[in-house]
Amino acid sequence: MKLLIIEDELSLNKSMVDYLSNQQYLCEAVTNYQDALEKIECYQYDCIVLDIMLPDGNGLQLLKHLKANNKIEGVIIISARNELDDKIKGIELGADDYLTKPFHLPELSVRISAIIRRKNLQGNNVLTFKDIQIDVLAKTVCINQNPITLTRKEYELLLYFIINKNRVLSKNAIAEHLWGDDMDMANNHDFIYTHIKNLRKKLITAGADDNIQSVYGMGYKFS
Amino acid sequence: MKLFTRYNRINVIASILIFLIGCVAFYFVISYVLVRQLDKTLHNEQTEILQYSKEHNALPEILNTTDQQIVFEPTTKLLQKPKYASYKLWDEKDKDMEWVRNLTFTVNLSDKIFKVTVTKSQMETEDLLTLILYVAISMVALIIIANFIINRMVLQKLWQPFYATIGSIEQYQLSKKTATQLPDTTVDEFNLLNNSFNSMAKKVEHEYEMLKEFTGNAAHEMQTPLAVISNNIEALMQDELVLKNQHQVIAIIEQSVSRLSRLNQSLLLLTKIENHRFELNEVVKWDTLLTQKLAELAELLTAQKLQITIDTIPVTTLFHHHLADIIISNLLNNAIRYNVANGSISIQLHINQLTISNTSLMPSLDTEKIGSRFYRHSATKPDGNGLGLSIIKQICDVAGYQFIYTYEQSQHHFAIVF
Repeated sequence: MKLLIIEDELSLNKSMVDYLSNQQYLCEAVTNYQDALEKIECYQYDCIVLDIMLPDGNGLQLLKHLKANNKIEGVIIISARNELDDKIKGIELGADDYLTKPFHLPELSVRISAIIRRKNLQGNNVLTFKDIQIDVLAKTVCINQNPITLTRKEYELLLYFIINKNRVLSKNAIAEHLWGDDMDMANNHDFIYTHIKNLRKKLITAGADDNIQSVYGMGYKFS
Repeated sequence: MKLFTRYNRINVIASILIFLIGCVAFYFVISYVLVRQLDKTLHNEQTEILQYSKEHNALPEILNTTDQQIVFEPTTKLLQKPKYASYKLWDEKDKDMEWVRNLTFTVNLSDKIFKVTVTKSQMETEDLLTLILYVAISMVALIIIANFIINRMVLQKLWQPFYATIGSIEQYQLSKKTATQLPDTTVDEFNLLNNSFNSMAKKVEHEYEMLKEFTGNAAHEMQTPLAVISNNIEALMQDELVLKNQHQVIAIIEQSVSRLSRLNQSLLLLTKIENHRFELNEVVKWDTLLTQKLAELAELLTAQKLQITIDTIPVTTLFHHHLADIIISNLLNNAIRYNVANGSISIQLHINQLTISNTSLMPSLDTEKIGSRFYRHSATKPDGNGLGLSIIKQICDVAGYQFIYTYEQSQHHFAIVF
């Protein structure tokens, strides 16, 4: 899977590349409009991470360019401006998702994975991790081919874990993924604990390994 | 004391004083003129008597009237100059003392000297003076009455634009951007006041806009550095060795950054609501939204063993989905967060009111401060950012809804009146 990261803030660019490279993505990074334009014209990507505000141009122009050239890349916009207008304009111009800074890297990873899955519908839509299979289209989970029933939040949590497997995920990142930014739940970690406890119980009862580890009380790791 | 009452008081006192001084002066002038005239008449009499005595060498026959008496008396002393004098005399007819004027001179008649005294009544002069006094007093009275009437009828009308201006200043609300253009009047002073106020309001509005813009921009500019910190911390968290040694430090930084990000986002949201960036033109089904949110939170509610009582009817208003979502999320979030184990939450949705009540260990909140930013009751855990309720308040203000908090029977009630 090939990704293009367009972000002018160097350290942000690097942390995204590091994180996503670790997830078996092939990442290319550019920091300005001209380089981005060149890359887009020459190569084909599965997904583009696009910052709207670039020093020498507007990211929305790149979107227009992609659309005009019938490129089918998935695009996720990242912007410091949480403006509805920008969001609507971006989606209208063919972007698949919109993420406001600051965001959690696991969140970006989940969104990219969703975009890629959507773009490659003809391909495999079952995610497998050891003995767990998730059908992302039907939104069903099986342990060793035996379906189990999860609530919506538990399903989202499991998907989040599997996409960000082997990574330490902070409680804040998990909370924001489950409830969004507006819901100020993030600090109430009892909420997350409840969900994780229930999910773990269901997975173990169904015969899966205990994959969820607590990491020094600051987060969880799925491995 | 009103300005024109004070002005009027000074004005009336000054007028009365001037009139009194004027009257006194007038009295003396008139009295002087009249006495002079009387003296002239007496002098004429003297000339006639002298001429007669010179021609006939005898005193003229006298015909005394009530108005004029002439008396001849033999004397030895020759008066060099005729002598004028005024004094009071008993008047038999009127039975009172009366001012008279007399002239005394001497006539030489073949070695005999006669003293002649001509006396004339000063009564008419006095009558005139009394009349003048009456006129003066009635003039003063007239001035006071006229002032009073002007005060009542004219001045109140004249000051109308002033009160209109004061009225608009009282109504003026900076954040509401009410029209501040005060109209022109026909009075220069009021125009000056209105123009000064208009330009002041314009300046204040400009400054306010700048400040708001600054807050918005500052929050925006912080987003990217926050993203840098947050993402690098997440990268750091993946390093097993670092995590093993420094997990407490990393956890603290991670949580603080997360808090700061949420705070920043709340501030941005507030700015956006304040700037009316949300158009309230979507049909919001409150009952459906409530059911959705409760379903999302179902597991948390059961985990905390909270008892939910729901009493809703279908309610739709013209509002904004995202804002309605925020209101319900924040209210439910608070109701759960500050609740006690085995507590209860009661949700009531009626035709024009949504009330969410919950049990809590917290005492009654300060109703005055409930919507102010960063207000947090001292008993709360430090994890909230103190903006949740002020966001609700701000949304309600923009939408024209009422946000009411009450504390009854150890339950906190938060109500939105549509």
